[in-house]
Amino acid sequence: MLAFFLAIISSTKGLHKEFEREAIPHMDILYNYALRMTGNADDARDLLQETFLKAYRFWDKYEKGTNVRAWLFRIMKNTYINLYRKAVKEPDTVDYNDIQNFYNIIRENSADANDLQEKLFGHLLDDDVTKALESLPEEFRTVVILCDIEGLTYEEIAEFVECPVGTVRSRLHRGRKLLYAKLFEYAKKRGFVGKD
Amino acid sequence: MDCRKFLELISEAVDDRLQSDLKHQFSHHANICLPCRNEYEVDRITKSIVRATVHRREVPSELYYAVLTEVQKSQSSQRSWLEVIFGEAFLNPAVALVALIMVAVGAVSLLQRENAVPISADKNIIAQSINNFSATMAGVLKPTFISHDPGDVKDYLAKDTPFEVDVAALSGCDWCGGVLSSFNGVKLAHVVYKIGGEGLLYVYQVDINEAMHGTRISLPENAKASLAKTGWYFEQTPDKCNVVLWKHKNTLCAAVSMIEREKMVALLSEKGPW
Ligand SMILES: [Zn+2]
Repeated sequence: MLAFFLAIISSTKGLHKEFEREAIPHMDILYNYALRMTGNADDARDLLQETFLKAYRFWDKYEKGTNVRAWLFRIMKNTYINLYRKAVKEPDTVDYNDIQNFYNIIRENSADANDLQEKLFGHLLDDDVTKALESLPEEFRTVVILCDIEGLTYEEIAEFVECPVGTVRSRLHRGRKLLYAKLFEYAKKRGFVGKD
Repeated sequence: MDCRKFLELISEAVDDRLQSDLKHQFSHHANICLPCRNEYEVDRITKSIVRATVHRREVPSELYYAVLTEVQKSQSSQRSWLEVIFGEAFLNPAVALVALIMVAVGAVSLLQRENAVPISADKNIIAQSINNFSATMAGVLKPTFISHDPGDVKDYLAKDTPFEVDVAALSGCDWCGGVLSSFNGVKLAHVVYKIGGEGLLYVYQVDINEAMHGTRISLPENAKASLAKTGWYFEQTPDKCNVVLWKHKNTLCAAVSMIEREKMVALLSEKGPW
């Protein structure tokens, strides 16, 4: 009986070493993803801990030599969906025409798009953008976070979310457009635009 | 380049992934088509806002170590299940005594090493469940899988059971575990919950048809009648173990615990209809 337990102890030690070497270094990217998905540090903390506990428990299921970052990421995404599924709101309906028209009017008076951007969104804060990101449906939010915050390539994102590169491309377009509409709404509410 | 192609390439253009000839065609279309240009500008501006306002954060070192500690702790809970059980169960001397006596008098008779589930001589599901509960308390019956997430335990057990395993998120549950075995060729699933402050709750699970109509395992007639009529059955053993039986889809579940009757029923009821 004792020998049996000792055998288990020594085998888990090797496993533990390997896990620390392979998985722990990716805590940073996962933490940032958790922060952007949950929108607050407390939930991000829980999500990060739960993800690593799960990853450790399923470490024997990880296929050696494959992308460990993508594997960890998928565990986090599934954990997130399980924990927060109920909290996911339907996306607000967005009036694109309103934005499109407004955009055209501004453009006529402004030669430089960067100028326009400064005028419209220059006063938005990290919190506003975080909140706007949070309002996106999960599949769009994920690609925007991975591309625009984490700086991953389309190919990496495709591996992370297990979809073709073409899907990454179209989700990015949809996601950015939805995000823009949200940011525009905040800017309008805060009175940064539409007052003159 | 037409508008459809332009829209398709917007993301690639924003992320500067276009080859020079495509890039050229793309900017040409942007110059002659205002709606398309607006679409492109929206994406480009959004990306630059995100990049300018949202900054990556380092994992706070306190959180980093908390994660390492959790993993470490989960490692030790994997290897010393016995320790966990002894640590928890033997805080309560009465519980410990019952478990020890039952083991000593041979209530837990045969131990099948590979399976981690003792084999009872009795065909009666209630007797088996009570035996297994004491074996759990004594650290003889060990889950082969432990998790904080009931869903994980369910997935683990579901791989090899012909019936729908019932693993629920019980309130106050610190972790739960599962192990599979068979009796007379009948597949069994065992689930153990550690309910914070209350102790352990053991649930025996088996195919309902085997339980109600089979010959390899058995149920007392009064339990069968109650299950058929009300969907559940309650019994208390002389040494104050509470036994609750219920039907879950095509599964018969038998929970055993030393948690008081009302608390136990409340705990099991909140997970949904029986
Ligand atoms: Zn066009």
